[in-house]
Amino acid sequence: MAVVPGMTDLTAPYWDAAREGRLVVQECRSCRQVWHPPLPRCPHCHAADPGWRPVSGEGAVYTYTVVRHATHYAFAGQIPYVLAIVELAEGPRLVTALVGVGVGVEPGEPDGPGEVRVGLPVRVVFREVADGVTLPYFEPVAGRAPKDGGPPATP
Amino acid sequence: MPSRTAAIVGIGQTAYAKALPATAWELAMEAVLAACADAGVDVAEVDGMCRFTAPFEPVSEAMLVRGLGIPELSFFAQAPHGGEALGAVVMQAAAAVSADLASTVVVYRALSQSRGGRFGRADGRGPGGAGGADPGADVVVPEQDNLSFAWPYGLMSPGQLFALWARRYAAVHGLRDEDLTRALGTIAITQRQYANRNPNAMMRDRKLDWDDYRGARMISEPLRLFDLCLENDGACAFVVTTADRARALREDPVWVLSATQTVSPYREPMGIYTGGELLELFPSAAAERLFEQAGVSRADVDVAEFYDATSYMPLRSLESYGFVPDGQAWRYVTEQGTGPDSPLPVNTHGGHLSEAYLHGMNGILEAVRQLRGTAANQVPDADVALVGAPAGSATILAR
Repeated sequence: MAVVPGMTDLTAPYWDAAREGRLVVQECRSCRQVWHPPLPRCPHCHAADPGWRPVSGEGAVYTYTVVRHATHYAFAGQIPYVLAIVELAEGPRLVTALVGVGVGVEPGEPDGPGEVRVGLPVRVVFREVADGVTLPYFEPVAGRAPKDGGPPATP
Repeated sequence: MPSRTAAIVGIGQTAYAKALPATAWELAMEAVLAACADAGVDVAEVDGMCRFTAPFEPVSEAMLVRGLGIPELSFFAQAPHGGEALGAVVMQAAAAVSADLASTVVVYRALSQSRGGRFGRADGRGPGGAGGADPGADVVVPEQDNLSFAWPYGLMSPGQLFALWARRYAAVHGLRDEDLTRALGTIAITQRQYANRNPNAMMRDRKLDWDDYRGARMISEPLRLFDLCLENDGACAFVVTTADRARALREDPVWVLSATQTVSPYREPMGIYTGGELLELFPSAAAERLFEQAGVSRADVDVAEFYDATSYMPLRSLESYGFVPDGQAWRYVTEQGTGPDSPLPVNTHGGHLSEAYLHGMNGILEAVRQLRGTAANQVPDADVALVGAPAGSATILAR
C-alpha cells in the first residue's frame, strides 16, 4: 500500500506529467515567474490561468532528514528513508525523498559514496508507488542504483 | 488591542498522563471548572469561549455550554493550526473583553491522545485521518494545504518537519553534528530537570542525563527520542476578563500586555515550507509587533515558555523572538543554558518535552504561576513572561 496524493483540477497536471516521467512547475503566462506547489493565479502579478513548464529536474538538497521511526504504517517497511526539500535549478523547492543515498546503519555513519548532505547535487527520478501514481524522487547526480529493490526508475 | 485591558484571573488543569480514564469532554469540563474556581467566578457567568481547532479537538464550545449548563455565550471563536492557535486564543479572548463582546471568556484545550490521534504512532490515526479501516489499502491524501505534496513521501509529523528545519539551521550556521547535539541536549536535559521539581509533570520521577540523551534512538535525524514532545491526555483552561473585573476578583491578576497571531506565504503551520528561508520561524514583524504593543523590551522578559514540539523550537525561538542574534542560539544555549540561573529561564514547567503536551496551554498556565509567584521552579521576582508558539503566535503577560 502507499500514501498517494489526492488530485484536483489544479494539481492534476503535475501528477499527470510525473506519470509520463516529466517534472513540471507552474509558470505565469504573463510575468513568467515560476513557483511550486500550484496556485490558482500568479502570486506575483495575479494573472489568472497559470501555465505549466517542464524543468530540468536538476537541483540541490536544501535540507533533509533520515527518518528512523515510522509515523504511519504505510512507511513502516521503508525505514530508514530520507526526506528532503530539494531546490530546483529553476528556483522552486519541493518536498521529496532521496533514493540511492547511503544513510548508514547508525546515525551519521555513511554506508556508501552517496552520503547525503545539504547542497548535494541531485536529479529527479520517477517511481510508480501505486497503480497509476508516480512520484518524483531525487538521487545524487553521481548516484548509483537503488539497492532496495523498489519500483524501477523510469529513464 | 491596548495593553492591560484584559487579564487572566483563573487557571485550571487536570492531571496529565499517558492515558486517563476520562474522555476529552470530561477533561475539558474539569479544567474549565477548576479555572473558574481559581478565578472566583461562577461557571454560569462565563459568556465567552475560545478554543483550538484541528488537530485533535473533539470538544466544541457547544458541548461545554451544554455540559456545564452555561446559559449563553455572546462570544466564541476558534483558532486553527494546532499550536499556532496559542497566541490567537489569547488575542481573541482579550480582544473580546476589551471590545465588550463578553466579560468572562474561558480559553481551553483538552487532549485524549490515548483514545484518538497521535503523531508518533504508526497506526494511521494521525491528524487528518490518514489511514482507514483497511491497513492494506492505499491512503489518498486530501488536497488541502498542500499536504498531498508532502505526505506521499512520508513527511507526516511535526517531528519530521522540525528535523528538516534543524538540519538546515546546522548547515547554514556551520554547526557540526556535535554542536547541534550539545545545544538540543542541553534544552532537553534542562527541561527534564525543571520537570523533576514540578509535581504536575509527567516526567517528574524520570531523570535524564547525557548518557540517556545521547544513547536514545534517532527518530528523525538529527532529532533523538528526547528531542520530541510527549503525547498524552489532559486539559488546561484559563479565564480572561476585563481590567475592572480582574481587579475586583483578585489582587494578582496577570495582565495581557500583547498577543499576536500571524500567517504568511509558505509559513502555514504543518505546511510544507517550500518558499523563503526555512530558518524563519515567522516574519520578524510579528515579534516586533508583540513587543511594541506590550511596551516592554527583551531585557524586561524574566521567563519564557516556548512552544516545544521538539527541542529545536525553543532553540530557534530564542533567536526569532529576538533574545539572541540569528545563528547564535546554539552557542548561547550550550554556554549559558536555559536553566534557573541562566539569563532567561525557558520552559520552567518542563515544557512539552517533560511536563505534558497541551498545545502550549500549559506554558500559559506556567507563565501565570510564575507571575503570581507560585511556580514550582519560581524565577525570583518574575514580572514579565513571554509565551510563544513557533510561527509568531505569542503573548506577553505581566503582573
